[in-house]
Amino acid sequence: MIDILLFAVFWLIATLLGEWGVHAMEARGLYYSAATSQALDGEKAMAFILTVLVPVIAFIVVMLIYTALRFRSRRSLQFRDNKMFIGIWVLLSIALNILFFVHPSASALEQMFNNEEARLNRHDLIVNVTARQWEWIFSYPQYGIQTAEDSNGNSTLYLPVNQNVRFVLRSYDPYHTYDPNGAVIHDFWIPAFGLKQDIIPGETRLEYVHTNKITSYDVDPMVRVQCAEVCGPGHPFMEAPVHVVSSSDFLKWVQAQRKLEAS
Amino acid sequence: MSANAAGLSGADTAKRQGRRMAPPVIRGLLWAAIGFLIFNTLVSQVLDRELYDPFVTRVSATVGWAAAVIGWLLGVGAWEVIVLPFFGHPVEWDVPNDWRRYFMFSTDHKVVGLQYIFTTTGSFLLAGFAAMMMRMELMNAKLWVFTNPGAYLTTVGIHGTVMMFSVGTVALVGGFANYFIPLMIGANSSAFPRLSGLSHWLLPAGIATVFLSPLLGQWTTGWRAYAPLSGQDPSGIVFYYLGVFAMTTSSLLVAINLTVTIIFKRAPGLTWNRLPMFAWGILAVSLLTIIWVPEIQMTFIISLLNLIVPFSLFEQTGSPLTYMESFWLFGHPEVYIIVVPAFALWQEIVPVMGQKTLFARQWGVLGLVFVMLFSGLVWAHHMFTNMRNSEMLPFSFFTEMISIPTGFSYLVVIGTLWGARLKFSTPTLFVLMSMFNFLIGGITGVLLADPVINLQTHDTFFVLSHFHYTVIGSMIFTWLAAAYYWLPKLSGRMYSEALGKLGAIWVFVAFNSAFGQMFFAGFHGMNRWVAVYPQYLQNINFSISMFAFLLGLGFLFNFVHIAWMWNKGKPAEQNPWNGKTLEWHATPKPGIATFKPLPQVETGFYDYRESAPSVTTSPKRT
Repeated sequence: MIDILLFAVFWLIATLLGEWGVHAMEARGLYYSAATSQALDGEKAMAFILTVLVPVIAFIVVMLIYTALRFRSRRSLQFRDNKMFIGIWVLLSIALNILFFVHPSASALEQMFNNEEARLNRHDLIVNVTARQWEWIFSYPQYGIQTAEDSNGNSTLYLPVNQNVRFVLRSYDPYHTYDPNGAVIHDFWIPAFGLKQDIIPGETRLEYVHTNKITSYDVDPMVRVQCAEVCGPGHPFMEAPVHVVSSSDFLKWVQAQRKLEAS
Repeated sequence: MSANAAGLSGADTAKRQGRRMAPPVIRGLLWAAIGFLIFNTLVSQVLDRELYDPFVTRVSATVGWAAAVIGWLLGVGAWEVIVLPFFGHPVEWDVPNDWRRYFMFSTDHKVVGLQYIFTTTGSFLLAGFAAMMMRMELMNAKLWVFTNPGAYLTTVGIHGTVMMFSVGTVALVGGFANYFIPLMIGANSSAFPRLSGLSHWLLPAGIATVFLSPLLGQWTTGWRAYAPLSGQDPSGIVFYYLGVFAMTTSSLLVAINLTVTIIFKRAPGLTWNRLPMFAWGILAVSLLTIIWVPEIQMTFIISLLNLIVPFSLFEQTGSPLTYMESFWLFGHPEVYIIVVPAFALWQEIVPVMGQKTLFARQWGVLGLVFVMLFSGLVWAHHMFTNMRNSEMLPFSFFTEMISIPTGFSYLVVIGTLWGARLKFSTPTLFVLMSMFNFLIGGITGVLLADPVINLQTHDTFFVLSHFHYTVIGSMIFTWLAAAYYWLPKLSGRMYSEALGKLGAIWVFVAFNSAFGQMFFAGFHGMNRWVAVYPQYLQNINFSISMFAFLLGLGFLFNFVHIAWMWNKGKPAEQNPWNGKTLEWHATPKPGIATFKPLPQVETGFYDYRESAPSVTTSPKRT
């Protein structure tokens, strides 16, 4: 009996410490940097799961340590069954898993589906993304920009803040279209945006985000496009800076780009 | 003196004493070289000449390799033990009862088990060295160890491939199960001893092929050999497919042999209700291997044909997703092939160390079996980043649900630990550490099962760390637990308890420090398969590398300790842990029949009550 009581006390302490740790990490930002509503959804889902699981983690860890230190060289209790303990364990593990499936797995995924519903995205900014070995090419069909580049000729991605963006993702090599085997799988990932999407040769994939914060690669290295699926020796170099700017700055940039392309 | 438990004993050894042959391994290498040269030359110079007449082409390397492996297998003994007897000749194969038996074809399950243990340990060290090279490169954000990122990626691929197919899949099954399963179920040999002898020798052939793959050129795909990238690289990937084919065939033969052994060779009275937990685990994992390994072998053969014919099955004009789906259809059960024997070993070692009746045994068995069944339903969670949204939910569901049967292993161990009289030995420590590490792997697995979180963490160091927690943290730690636990049985000698505990704490601290930080590196934007990365991640990577080197040294320390004590340790008692399973009551020496006569099992092996009846009676048999 004293063992159960002692264990419960340690379990409680460990749980409280764990919850405090999760809360601290949550306050700092689990994803370090979150520049879209999708990233915030992901952080929230993660914080929820961790908050619920801390008592479970604490139970197992404290149990492993407590039993290892406490039950040594004494007369052992011999039992092979404890219906109540097993029953609680099995039911609780089923309940927790169903909970997580309903929320956040299914609920957050539904949120993501909603973002992609056409009716909610009538004013999307469309960015055509072409992945080739080893370069990102961004074009803005609504603004007539073919390849968004900075003055040095490096690909760059500009997005207005508080805007739904639809990335249209394709993998092929526009400079070597005669080679049917030239394209490989890439993965479009902006770490600060909180999601990624593989780009499959021969298919068109979509990714939707809603930007919610003015930021850029200059102040936060997580605001970059980074290929996340291995695509050959040039894979690490397949990155491009991202700038999320106010809508007036975005229009200024569009003007500048058009001038650059015209020249 | 020839002595062989499997019945191939040399009754007329003396007569054949004069027969001389080269040492089998040397003869195998020679026959392999001859096979490769003849068939490679035939294909590249006569049958299928290519432009500029290269001596080795993708096609000739494939055919030459097949000839080389057959030559190797025949040379190490399959010629005398399998081929000649098939045509009616008597078996003329003398296995000397000394160190030489480990370097030739053997039908003794204990010798085969030890061969597997040595081979997996060697490949673990080699592939671990590759990991050290990778961590060395990642100490700096710029390229400085490797001369180009492709060389780094080739190293990544070799590390992953060898660790998966020759350590993870093999160490506990080919190694410890081959040795101990017949002992634990009271049999004197495995069901198919010649098949078992053959299976081991495929493994070094496969390991060598993968390590020599850079001879044919770089391959940058990592261990998954992702199409269509695999079709673009130079030809090194051909040796990847061939090497993996040899290694997976080895695992498949072991699985067939052990399944039949467990089903048909149990001692009288050893009912399913009394079957040891480790045997349950190995049965589950062997069935898993039999179901899924042929699937990946077919995928790899198609992918190889895709390269050498060539087709364009997986290019943009074909279907790249088909390759990915076929790969992960095997890829996730593979994870459970690795970890289920570890679950079983926890439940095997803890009751012995605690001298405590196994708690909720039936739930433990249910857990192992249901993990096995579920593992085929979760695979597409590796593809949340490239599948239809509507397909995510069912895989997310099963991935979360598989934590329920997994949790039963914890239920059993925790119930057994409560109120036990625990011997705080090195195996106990390793099992507890393994359980802690798998807990971290499991919790991060629940996070990864959630699609929204998965889309951020997939393909980053978060995932990398997650699966290293399940494989190193869980399976490798349990492998070391098993090595310390059974060392007295394998060698008749005892390890040093102080050094063993030091080794355990060393690898535990180094492992958690290195891989714990990787979760945060992943969140912070560190992606996989990069030799070069943004400068802001250099500090954390430097720190990870330092602990990774410490971990490498820690593993080396444990291996040196075990090897040293194997020869120089204090002689151990027959049953130092007071275990009840049959292997502790048997003659463990290779080359000697284990049970004479076969034991009659009267009750289960995990009853530690004082009033417990004795496990076996020895019937009067001849």
